[in-house]
Amino acid sequence: MVDTIPYLSYRMKQAKVSLLIAIAVLPLVLVSCSGTPFSCSGAAQPTGGWSGPVFHDGIIYVGSKDGRVIAINASSREEKWQWPDTTGIRGLIYTTPIVDGDLVCIGTYSGEVYALNRADGEYIWVYPPKGEGYIGAVVGSPVIANGIMYISSSNGKVYALNTTNGKRKWETDHVLAGKLWTSPAVMGGTLYVSTLDGHIYDVSLETGELLGWSFIAEAGFASSPVVYEDHIYVGSFDRYLYSIEIGSNVSTWKFPQQKPAGNWFWASPIVNEGIVYAGCLDGKLYAIEAETGEKLWEFDAGSPIISSPILRDNLLIIIGELGTLYVFDVDTEFEEEVVPLRTISIGASVKSSFCARDGLVYVRGEDDSIYVADIERGEIVEGWPVSLTTEK
Amino acid sequence: MEAWNLIIGNPVLNVLIALSHGLGGSFGLAIIALTIIVRLITWPLNKRQLNSTKALQEMQPKIQELQKKYGKNQQKLQQEMMKLYKEAGVNPLGCLWPMLVQFPIWIALYQAIMRALATTPENLLDLAQRLYSWGIVNQAIPLSSQFLGLDLGQTASANGGLGLLLAIIVGGTMWVQQKMTQAPAVDPRQESTSRMMTLMMPVMFGLLTFSFAAGLGLYWATSNIIGIITQYFITGGWGNLKFQSPFQRASAEGK
Repeated sequence: MVDTIPYLSYRMKQAKVSLLIAIAVLPLVLVSCSGTPFSCSGAAQPTGGWSGPVFHDGIIYVGSKDGRVIAINASSREEKWQWPDTTGIRGLIYTTPIVDGDLVCIGTYSGEVYALNRADGEYIWVYPPKGEGYIGAVVGSPVIANGIMYISSSNGKVYALNTTNGKRKWETDHVLAGKLWTSPAVMGGTLYVSTLDGHIYDVSLETGELLGWSFIAEAGFASSPVVYEDHIYVGSFDRYLYSIEIGSNVSTWKFPQQKPAGNWFWASPIVNEGIVYAGCLDGKLYAIEAETGEKLWEFDAGSPIISSPILRDNLLIIIGELGTLYVFDVDTEFEEEVVPLRTISIGASVKSSFCARDGLVYVRGEDDSIYVADIERGEIVEGWPVSLTTEK
Repeated sequence: MEAWNLIIGNPVLNVLIALSHGLGGSFGLAIIALTIIVRLITWPLNKRQLNSTKALQEMQPKIQELQKKYGKNQQKLQQEMMKLYKEAGVNPLGCLWPMLVQFPIWIALYQAIMRALATTPENLLDLAQRLYSWGIVNQAIPLSSQFLGLDLGQTASANGGLGLLLAIIVGGTMWVQQKMTQAPAVDPRQESTSRMMTLMMPVMFGLLTFSFAAGLGLYWATSNIIGIITQYFITGGWGNLKFQSPFQRASAEGK
């Protein structure tokens, strides 16, 4: 049978098959990239940002996925203002807006920090000033203390800006890491910065100089540091939560004490009355004795906890990525089974930070909508969600 | 998609990151090491291909003899040549299998490079769900994308002159490898097809290198260089890189 196959046809067939295979490479690679959250052309373009909402004087301020800052009246659910207008998209927003006096400030992935008038969204200042380039992408939310805003940038530096005029007070002399994606923490006259390459630095609030202490971990830090008394609590890529005494070169404890957790501690923990509450990407909320690192209890939220927990009075609130909100009474002494006080389904995936006020929890879903959950009633408030998407 | 990630995507990603950690945090060296591992895994197929090529090259005098004998009867010539191949146990299509086997690895490697470098916050969060619990993998995050002046997570075109050089190396090494593995042509039509393929593939891969992450180009370049070296030692020389077919010789002599 083989003898009857003409050799030339055989070779031509081989060439054609090779050609087809070669041509197939491009679509195959393209297909392989679809379904992943990055672009094939270098993966430099993110897909939306996850700015969280902040509530102030009855107004919700939030960054939308198309790069606008939007103010929504929480009572009427009407948009109060948005900036810039629909034709002036600035870039993606991962930071949660911060309100300071008459200003709403926000950092963008395009490497700028904006201050807007809280009343009408009017542009006040931008850093760096127009025409002076950009700092690296701002991913960690800015922090304001005593009229100075502190910003970590993806260029590895920390900046201090005067909030009244946007003038730079200082920037760190050194590049602290390849990227800074976490928020700094302020305590006393010191700024504490965690880095993706596993360092914690103390920086002078006044001058931006390194004060000389640094802590080095075996893995990078995934979460922003939290300072409580004389310790820093921070989550790491090695699947441990670290407790570090300020000034010490060794950690006080690492949690879990035996084998590592099921995933990274991405969200910043919170500490209240000697107990650390830490959400993990393994879907669990851990309550840990701050002094010893011993686990008090854990709760399985069923999906990764990306957003940091918040505490209002005695109510601890967490949200799983799949959009289920849990409320716990921290005064309850759980023995065997940890039962949340409330379980509310948001109905959308959640990666952003969230806020709570007067028994209501304000959440930005990945569908670019604001949801408001009523803790007392255990359900989404009527009339919400409100979409942030611009109708075109 | 889940099955793909479970079977090949995530294993390649985790091995790549573990290699990077083991090689002092150098992602470029990790890609090179992974390429060598892939080459070792596909070695049985590659060896078969190389042996086929060597056999084809060694059969060249017999092919020329047949051509002289049956030159005017193409059908008879082809039948005799197929008989010759069959007797020698050579399969001209055998060289395609190593390439086919490598396709899923290319795709997985490309995904692994982009995912491992996690250039955006979303990528980093996505990466968390794909990593094994191995300490060395988690401790390696985040990876540095810099290698010999190249940003492996960016396209070769975004890497400027070095990216262009990488694309030229990929295309050039592929051309050399193809010339070395190419079976001698026996007629002008085949010669033309063969020449087109030898030129088209390197150009295409050079362009692909220019368009996609430089890390993938590094993989291709390394893979080609390993291929050239193994080809050289298995077949004992540069093969068809130096060889001219009877038709090339004829045209060179002005016949």
